[in-house]
Amino acid sequence: MSETPPPVPIEPARRSWVERVSVVWVVPIIALLIALGVAYSSYADRGPLIEITFETAAGVKANQTELHYRDVVVGLVEEVRFTDDLGAVVAVVRVDKDVAPFIDSSARFWVVRPEVTTQGVSGLDTVLNGVYIEGSWDNVPDEERRSFVGLTDAPLIRPGRPGLELGLRAVGDTVLNGDTPIFFRGVEVGRMGTARISRDGGFTIAEAIIYEPYDRLISDATRFWDSSGFTFSLGPAGAELDFTSLASLVGGGVTFDTFISGGAPAQDGDVFDVFAERTTARASVFNVSDVEPLNINVIFEENVAGLAVGAPVELNGLRIGEVSNVNGLVDRARFGDARVRLIVTLSIQPARLGLQGEATAQNALDFLTGRVVSGLRARLASAGLLSGGLKVEFVMLEDAEFVMLDRSAEPFPVMPVTDSEISDVTVSAEGALERISALPVEELLNSAIDFLNAGTALVADQALQDTPEEIQALIGDMRGLVGSEAAQNVPVLMEAALQRIEAVARQLEEDRAVARVLAAVDAATEAASGVPDLVAELNRVAATAAELPLETLVTELTDLVDAAEDVIDTEDARALPGDLSAALAELQATLTELREGGAVANVNAAMSSARQAADQVALSAQDLPRLLQRMNTVLSQASTTLQSYDESSQLNRSAREALRDLSKAADAVSSLARAIERNPNSLLLGR
Amino acid sequence: MGVVGCPRCTKVWPLGTTRCTRCGAQIVSRDRKALQRVWAWWIVGLMAYIPANLYPMLQTRTLVSVQQDTIIGGVITLVNHGSFGIALVIFLASVMIPVGKFLAIAFLALAAQRGTTSPSRHRMGLYEIVEYIGRWSMIDVFVVAILSSLVQLNTLAAVNPGPAALFFGLSVIFTMLSAQSFDTRLIWDAERS
Repeated sequence: MSETPPPVPIEPARRSWVERVSVVWVVPIIALLIALGVAYSSYADRGPLIEITFETAAGVKANQTELHYRDVVVGLVEEVRFTDDLGAVVAVVRVDKDVAPFIDSSARFWVVRPEVTTQGVSGLDTVLNGVYIEGSWDNVPDEERRSFVGLTDAPLIRPGRPGLELGLRAVGDTVLNGDTPIFFRGVEVGRMGTARISRDGGFTIAEAIIYEPYDRLISDATRFWDSSGFTFSLGPAGAELDFTSLASLVGGGVTFDTFISGGAPAQDGDVFDVFAERTTARASVFNVSDVEPLNINVIFEENVAGLAVGAPVELNGLRIGEVSNVNGLVDRARFGDARVRLIVTLSIQPARLGLQGEATAQNALDFLTGRVVSGLRARLASAGLLSGGLKVEFVMLEDAEFVMLDRSAEPFPVMPVTDSEISDVTVSAEGALERISALPVEELLNSAIDFLNAGTALVADQALQDTPEEIQALIGDMRGLVGSEAAQNVPVLMEAALQRIEAVARQLEEDRAVARVLAAVDAATEAASGVPDLVAELNRVAATAAELPLETLVTELTDLVDAAEDVIDTEDARALPGDLSAALAELQATLTELREGGAVANVNAAMSSARQAADQVALSAQDLPRLLQRMNTVLSQASTTLQSYDESSQLNRSAREALRDLSKAADAVSSLARAIERNPNSLLLGR
Repeated sequence: MGVVGCPRCTKVWPLGTTRCTRCGAQIVSRDRKALQRVWAWWIVGLMAYIPANLYPMLQTRTLVSVQQDTIIGGVITLVNHGSFGIALVIFLASVMIPVGKFLAIAFLALAAQRGTTSPSRHRMGLYEIVEYIGRWSMIDVFVVAILSSLVQLNTLAAVNPGPAALFFGLSVIFTMLSAQSFDTRLIWDAERS
């Protein structure tokens, strides 16, 4: 059975839009909203674009190279293009929104690349990850800038590493190695940037920074010097090799020290000189001169080698400056010939002149002008004895002709000169040395050695060693003999006798006078007849005396060197002078008699007495051999006795002395005898 | 005819039945909102597909470089390295298939709304292809997932998925939802009328 399905209920077509629209539409709407939200937020968060112009942009890639600030990524290079004239590369960097306000005029940018220097390797991370741009700016937001010029190298001074900013200047031979550390006692306390040549080429200068807190080490008394390289010195203490560190040896470095305290702290922007080495840096502290030096030219006629830049300029021996330039000068118009002259520029420190008032170059020039009028001149002088170097000396000339200091000369005032005083010591010294070397020193020395050897042998000889003592003892004995009373009495007695004779002669003249002259003459004639006999007798006496075996005796005595000391004490020996004096006393008595007796009548008696006296002298002299014979006996006895005394040197000497005394006494006797023989009258007349 | 088939278990019910008592699925004779859902998912899928191509899919970090590749960029890199086979596979899976799906779904939906001259049988086949092949679009995501988990050599080399992977996955999911939302009966409705 088929059943018709019930009619289909037709629902009204109109239904609300809620029923007609699917819920799924919510999904795209939400997606759209999210997309819009993300797009907006990313747009809103997007920082500004800045343009950095680099000369080259090696390694900088769009969308890859980052901008770093303190090693944190703060931006990305979005585009790398050229400037309009293709002169440089522009990197367009999208920077983070929150750092953008700080990127103001203080900002600097540079590209960090891997770098291998003597100081080490830097930027190693960029080897793997590519270069990045480093930015640096201060912490204060300022007016934003959008266009910058990038630096070639990393700047020395950057925010975040505060310090004292200085300029380091190197004059002369000092070399400034750019981008080197600054050490203080081995600690790196700062850095020196790349060195630049000054505009006039006179010096190199580099900016430097001393990091906090080391900046307070710098005062205006601080001196910098180049610590790179090494110094080698050879002195009395041996060879010395000195360098700061291997790093600074290779890569260079600058160090400093404050040699004197009390300097004012340095300010940013101060410029310091860098010296070649520590000693010069130290020396510069003590001849510091803040004022401009006075430059003076001196023209020397002669052209002498040895004057170098840096040679001292001295006034009265005090260094007042130095030679800053030496040049040849040919000026036909000025000098009238084409000779080469030496033009020397002197740099004089006004402070060194001890000027009253302010030490300025002008004052110094005024002072020198005045002194030149009084005779101050410049001259070349030897700086050292051996070095051959020269210096410039200011000397006062007494009779200098009137010359003015030429203040109008260009470029510097010209000082008058006088003759040089160059002592060519080296040449003289050379000559002297040559002569010395030509001396036959070896022969001389050989002779001297031989001589000294002989001397040594001589001195070492026992006999010679004894000699001084013997001499001394001999002198002592002489003194003893001379000092003995009897010997001293001899002259006195003689004198007394002669005085009496003289008195007798006077009495003769006074008493008898002219009346008895004839008789006297007769008597004298008579008496004179006896005189030859007397003389003959005296001659005989003398002959006898001469015949005395004195020499034999002396030889014998000399043979008895080993005699004992007692010998001198023998009664006879002591009696010898006594005998002599006794003889003289008899002579005296005779003369007294003569005086007391009657004149000429007594002359004969006197003569006979004199003869007797002479006889007695002869007798007493004749007694000598006997005496000596006795002594001989005694001494020979003594010598046998003394054999047992073992040749004591003391005994020997004493014996020798005694014998010498004896011999002297004998000599005296013989000389007396000789005297009498020569002139018998002297005995009578005292002449 | 006054009957309606259950879309899940295909049991025929009298017209007006709202719920299949056998499988419990909702029974609607002609879902008027089906095309709206298709378009909605389609649009979301397309929106996800844009960043999936703009953002990098792979982030390859080696010792010396960091490389970020989008889908097209990766294909070009592979071609440059001479790996044409792999490049072709990735190009098919990540570019051709998704784009084809978008076009196919859009064509089916437009045909259902406006009518077309193409045979219904062809369109049905097209739909089935889309449905079948849709899951293979995930091949690119799989590649990224496998590479990311395998190549993690710390500093030496590392592969990480880029943001595009997420968007690409979403895009595939949304296009599949879009395809499933399509009511194939609409293809034949046009033929009957």
